[in-house]
Amino acid sequence: MEQTVTQRSFLDSLSIKLRNNVPATIVIGLSIVLALVIAVKTGPAQLANVIVTGGMWALLAAGLALVFGVMNIPHFAHGESFMVGTYVGYFVFTPLNNYLKDNPNGLLAFLAPMIGVVAAMLVGAILGAVLERLIFAPLRKRTRVGWVMNTFLLTVGLSFVLINGTTLVLGPNFRGIPRYYNVPPLEFLGMRIAVDRIFAFVIAIISIAVLTWFMQRTRTGRAIRAVAQDETGAQLVGINLGFIHTLTFSLATAMAAMAGAALLFMFQAYPTVGLKPLYFAWYVVMLVGLGNVYGAIVGGFIVALLQTATQQFIGIAWEDVVPTVVMILILILIPSGIFGSEVKGIQEQ
Amino acid sequence: MLELKKVNTSYDFLQILWDVSLQVAEGEFVALIGPNGAGKTTTLRTITGLLTPQSGEVLFRDQSIGHLAVHTVSRMGISYISEGLNLFTNMSVRENLLLGAYALNDKQKELETLDFVYHLFPRLKEREKQLAGTMSGGERKMLAIARGMMSNPQLLLVDEPSLGLAPHLTNDVFRALLELRNRGVTILLVEQNVNATLEITDRAYILEHGRIAMEGPSREMKANQHVRNAYLGI
Repeated sequence: MEQTVTQRSFLDSLSIKLRNNVPATIVIGLSIVLALVIAVKTGPAQLANVIVTGGMWALLAAGLALVFGVMNIPHFAHGESFMVGTYVGYFVFTPLNNYLKDNPNGLLAFLAPMIGVVAAMLVGAILGAVLERLIFAPLRKRTRVGWVMNTFLLTVGLSFVLINGTTLVLGPNFRGIPRYYNVPPLEFLGMRIAVDRIFAFVIAIISIAVLTWFMQRTRTGRAIRAVAQDETGAQLVGINLGFIHTLTFSLATAMAAMAGAALLFMFQAYPTVGLKPLYFAWYVVMLVGLGNVYGAIVGGFIVALLQTATQQFIGIAWEDVVPTVVMILILILIPSGIFGSEVKGIQEQ
Repeated sequence: MLELKKVNTSYDFLQILWDVSLQVAEGEFVALIGPNGAGKTTTLRTITGLLTPQSGEVLFRDQSIGHLAVHTVSRMGISYISEGLNLFTNMSVRENLLLGAYALNDKQKELETLDFVYHLFPRLKEREKQLAGTMSGGERKMLAIARGMMSNPQLLLVDEPSLGLAPHLTNDVFRALLELRNRGVTILLVEQNVNATLEITDRAYILEHGRIAMEGPSREMKANQHVRNAYLGI
């Protein structure tokens, strides 16, 4: 008996999970139908669009979920990490690109966008660690009650400071690049996909895979999950809370900055560029349940699908309206999100 | 090995411990008993660093640990199995155990200790892949003790392991503690099940209203008139 229970195949356990979770089944089922409708009506090129944006929302939302799950911070300055990423991408890629105009070099042309993304990731990681040490760690020592509310206000304030500080230093101008890869779009199964989109998608997939591996398979990743599930238990087994908090915030900021740099060809760099990605990342975490990192990855693709369907069938002006309406419905009908929340600390505080 | 010298501890303005002094020698199995609200859990929380004493000293191997962070104390070799267990409920049994060995940071030792606790609690090996939150109360308690063992602690603090357990499971837990002690682990046990506790421990302290009321060898305690009246109901 025991044998049959433990040796369930992956598909079996997945189907049991779905059967036990009706809202998730409905939402995922509807998403698949929607994806098929889009593929038939407008051609598979739009699906490629869904996958690229979805990957990016997933990256952003996973960071948001991580910060909320581990540190109980509703992070409303997460968009500014994205903004910093777009600027780093711009300021690293543009000189490289200018140099390439005079000295054509195939290998460097291939690597230049990646250098921009990696630079954004490093700057994001450092920025995240510094912000956590400088702002959240001292606040944590002093807070007794109302941590979630305090950090909410703090992150909103931080967002204002970062946006206006950037405007002060760099001005309100849009800084963009025409494209990352100056090559014709790839033909694939009758669709034409810009190489930049493939680049962004590959970045998203690699980062999500690395994140999942890190969280599931490494000792430190396990420690991060432990802190999210039981802070006291984590301390009792010898985990340094302060270190895990700094690492988590740094990781989330780095992912957002990476997304910013990878999407520079779509968004351009300007002080308020992070607001829209922030809202979409919040739609995602509310849809799947606050603090649920793996749910956020799936949710990223669902929200992108919704967005693309709205653009295609209702009109581009409605792009923000439909996800907002869905979010309101989710909050009324299933407030804990379709995959449920894993946040434990919130009740203790 | 462990020594508390006139320790006073409060929650905000409410003082719980008043000049508590106690000692646990290497290899000893010591009980801390007393009625509800006497401050037994508070004593353990003060030792682990979850609470900071207002005055007095907590010494572990002659080193003051009263003001150290919880994770530092844990890494010095003190393992605390709390009443609430503080398990990672959404992780498998195996992951919980591996996290118990977090401070070791040594793959080889980690697997050795894992074998040892699986030998001690064969039930946990059967349930290796199950989520900790889906196990029964007795199994969860076993897991908490096993997780506490994973760091190869020198001193084990156990808080009310029999609470909420069926009598035969309580016996299992006590047998496991005895086995650990026979392997040289020093244990400080907090319990409400006074009869069974005095049966298996070497020495006992009685804590009443935040003060140490009595101390002595467990055998003598069992014969003491006050203990018989108040705790054994004889």
